[in-house]
Amino acid sequence: MIKRFFRLNPITRKRLAKFRQLKRGYYSLLILICLTILSFLSNYLANSRPIIVKYEGKFYFPTYRFFPGSTFGQEDEYGFDDSETDYRKLAETFKGTDNWLLMPPIKFNPYENDFGHYDIPPPHPPDSRHYLGTDGQGRDVLARLLYGLRISMLFSLTLVCGGMVIGVIVGCAQGYFGGWFDLMTQRLVEIWSTLPFLYVVILLATLYKPSFTMLLVALLLFEWLGITYYMRTEMYREKTREYVAAARSMGASNFRIIFLHLLPNALVPIVTLAPFAIVGGILSLTALDFLGYGLPAPTASWGELVDQALQSSNRGKLWLSLSPFVAITTTLVLVTLIGESIREAFDPKPYARYR
Amino acid sequence: MKRISFTILASLALLSSVSAEDLSAIKWETNNDEPLIGSEKAIRGGTFTDSLPSYPLTFRLYGPNNNDIFANWSREYSLDIGLVDRHPTTDKFIPIMATHWSIQPDNKTIYFKLDPDARWSDGEKITADDYTFAAEFLSNPKIQDPFAAQYMKDYIESVEKIDDYTIKVVGKKPSWRPLVDYNFAPLPKHCTVVDDKWVERENNKPPVVQGPYVISDFKEGEYVRFKRIPNWWGDKKRYFTGMFNPDVINLRVITNDDLEFDLFKKHELDIFRVMSARQWETQMNFDALANGYVHRKRVFTESPQGLSGIIFNLSTPLFQNKDFRKGLQHLFNFDEVNKEIMFNAYYRQYSMFTGTPYENHDLKGYPFDPRKAREYLTKAGFTKRDANGILENAKGEKARFTLNYPSKSLEPHLTVIKNIYKKGGVDINLQLLEPGAAFNKLLERAYEASLVNMTADFYPDPHQYFSSEFKPMKQNNNFWGYGDPETDKLIDIYRFDMDEAKRHDAMMKLDAKLEDESLLIQFWQAPYLRMLYWDNIQFPDQFLPKRIDTYTDYQCFWIDPARSEKLEAAMKAGTKLPADTVIDVDPYGVQKKLMQSASASGAPAQLKN
Repeated sequence: MIKRFFRLNPITRKRLAKFRQLKRGYYSLLILICLTILSFLSNYLANSRPIIVKYEGKFYFPTYRFFPGSTFGQEDEYGFDDSETDYRKLAETFKGTDNWLLMPPIKFNPYENDFGHYDIPPPHPPDSRHYLGTDGQGRDVLARLLYGLRISMLFSLTLVCGGMVIGVIVGCAQGYFGGWFDLMTQRLVEIWSTLPFLYVVILLATLYKPSFTMLLVALLLFEWLGITYYMRTEMYREKTREYVAAARSMGASNFRIIFLHLLPNALVPIVTLAPFAIVGGILSLTALDFLGYGLPAPTASWGELVDQALQSSNRGKLWLSLSPFVAITTTLVLVTLIGESIREAFDPKPYARYR
Repeated sequence: MKRISFTILASLALLSSVSAEDLSAIKWETNNDEPLIGSEKAIRGGTFTDSLPSYPLTFRLYGPNNNDIFANWSREYSLDIGLVDRHPTTDKFIPIMATHWSIQPDNKTIYFKLDPDARWSDGEKITADDYTFAAEFLSNPKIQDPFAAQYMKDYIESVEKIDDYTIKVVGKKPSWRPLVDYNFAPLPKHCTVVDDKWVERENNKPPVVQGPYVISDFKEGEYVRFKRIPNWWGDKKRYFTGMFNPDVINLRVITNDDLEFDLFKKHELDIFRVMSARQWETQMNFDALANGYVHRKRVFTESPQGLSGIIFNLSTPLFQNKDFRKGLQHLFNFDEVNKEIMFNAYYRQYSMFTGTPYENHDLKGYPFDPRKAREYLTKAGFTKRDANGILENAKGEKARFTLNYPSKSLEPHLTVIKNIYKKGGVDINLQLLEPGAAFNKLLERAYEASLVNMTADFYPDPHQYFSSEFKPMKQNNNFWGYGDPETDKLIDIYRFDMDEAKRHDAMMKLDAKLEDESLLIQFWQAPYLRMLYWDNIQFPDQFLPKRIDTYTDYQCFWIDPARSEKLEAAMKAGTKLPADTVIDVDPYGVQKKLMQSASASGAPAQLKN
């Protein structure tokens, strides 16, 4: 059944081929996929823990594990050996021995305060220690950008998927059943969509502890609205076709008709809208973080970085403002290019001309 | 505080006399021996321009919405202080609206002799009727001022007119500070009509006041101007010498701090208060300052500082253990936070009553010491680290708690603190709450740890915070659910004992006891005002009185016309003025004392100075 659902019909294959021809969209997609995969590997790219340690003939993989200093015979400055190993220091002591460790390219995790290394208080401008400098609390900006990308993508993808599922189900039901059901749910959707969503989310964030799940649920409350309109019209159009009548005459259930026969033919709005919805999701999260109603501190987030950059005391500290700006713009441009190309690929006319 | 010794004769006379009107035997007291607040060198005149962060919602001194920044100005200018006041530097009582006062042996009845020179801003005399009227007015529900009404209900028994310039105020209960507890300002009876429309009618009407300035001009959203009353009655009074000097006070509404700073640099404002240490340290490189046109001063004062820091909920099992609380104390690395985030601009607070006469200066707090911290945490049962490096006890309970905080402004500090604690094996979840919600959780004791920042009075009120009376119930300021018989005893001595030495002694012991109880990880204080002002603005030699935390109180600055001319000429010609390199001003030895106690506790010396 799943195979049948995903079996590519000739039209879809043609669309895919056309998408591949549209270089800017195709490459944008490749870059974005690479970036997303990279961001999901953040723990191996920016971390104060090494990827691998070889100590006294044994291998250790500390990326996701806590090893006290005693494991490697290390004591901290207060003489404790059960606090977390300082691997950057450990690397120094390993010099000239058989032991070795491999640090990630960025030797800092996004939460640690790099104090004591500089004479002046943070933020510090970019140098060989911190490639994009540090923020107001001495945290590595590049590491925070990377972890921020992960959380933005994860949040946005989950949000869009969830929103699409709800929106598609509601929209399909409206269009397919029509009549009173359609009339009533459509009014409900209209009422719901007049709520100022940012304010409602802010309100919820003040009442409940903001967390990834809570924000996701709060934004989901509004995310599904937009897609229902498109699915509803698609359904209205498609359900009058002969193949639907044929399926019904053979005794197919409503569920089967909607999801097996109608939906594959009504996917166009989902596919074309998804990239823009992802952009919207990233922007919403960034905006909420910027306003202080987003993910709890000290989560690495772009909005928080923008907030720091905009503080009057950080005026002129370009690494703070440019880094999140470039990150946000790049992601949004990539996603927009993809979205545009998909739209064009789905256009039945071979060459579209914008007027 | 000065207590009045009565002659036996006077007391006998009082006891025997039934008629309250016979005051011939009363011993009146006054005080004309305190130093001046202002400067005799002060020159009157000129226009002083400052900023307001928002346009006032009302000009009323009572009723709804009268608690914004503008109210600081209007209260000061209307002389809304009361009959007498504490001298802001020596803490002794000085005459304001009353020239003499007399506290009766029952410690709740006070006679006041009113100043016959006092006039309302419309020229009418201020008499005893205005005080009896004020007492009625303040408790009138139609003015919609629950705080004023509550004060009248809780504190004032009666206000009687003896003659035109003598009143008798009776308080609800005996007090060792009756002049503070039973003290209020008059209201103009001749031009005040209280009815249902009062709040609305008076909203944008400049009030008739007893003080030196009246609102002369205003434009909604843009500015409010005060004009000085010519030949104000207070000009002849000793304690107003050299105060309230400019003829016109122009308060411009500037909602954006950056814009305010830019306007100040352009000399559109005369003064600028620097709120953040970062700005104070990093943005002081503008031309006007380099040219000597602008002065940069940090004036140390000693004003009461409220409780500030991280408090623990004693009704949670984790924090019931005193050793655990002490362990947390020793993990708090104030010096690192101060150095890396706050430009070493702040001073650790040690006392629960900082900045009041009851501060125990011998307290040394809990210095950062991970070894000691571990000792205490081990004693509390947290002996080993789990797979994530968090300490846990034999039952598998983790050293982990949620810390509520009500404002983003301290988030950087808290994330740094979180990392320090994590290293020590204690995990803190940070939870930002809306301020109202955060405070409500405190009142409900529905929290584990929380940031608090309370305001304080000259006379501390340990009873509302630490009395076991409030331990069994919620919705009070005993956020901890704390109670201890010894603490209660000390609090009661402070509250009721008539002997100041005993009270002081009890408070010293209480302060030390509370430190040992480890109820609060003390934060820091900024016992100073940071300001920038143009060269023609002058301050008295001691700059500001001791017990203030804003320069809008007891305004003693003046505008020197000779310096104005010189400044203008220099600005036109582009020449420099003699540079003023003295930044820190410490007229009352506050900074010195803080530095001493900082070095005594083993903290590194300040970077600056």
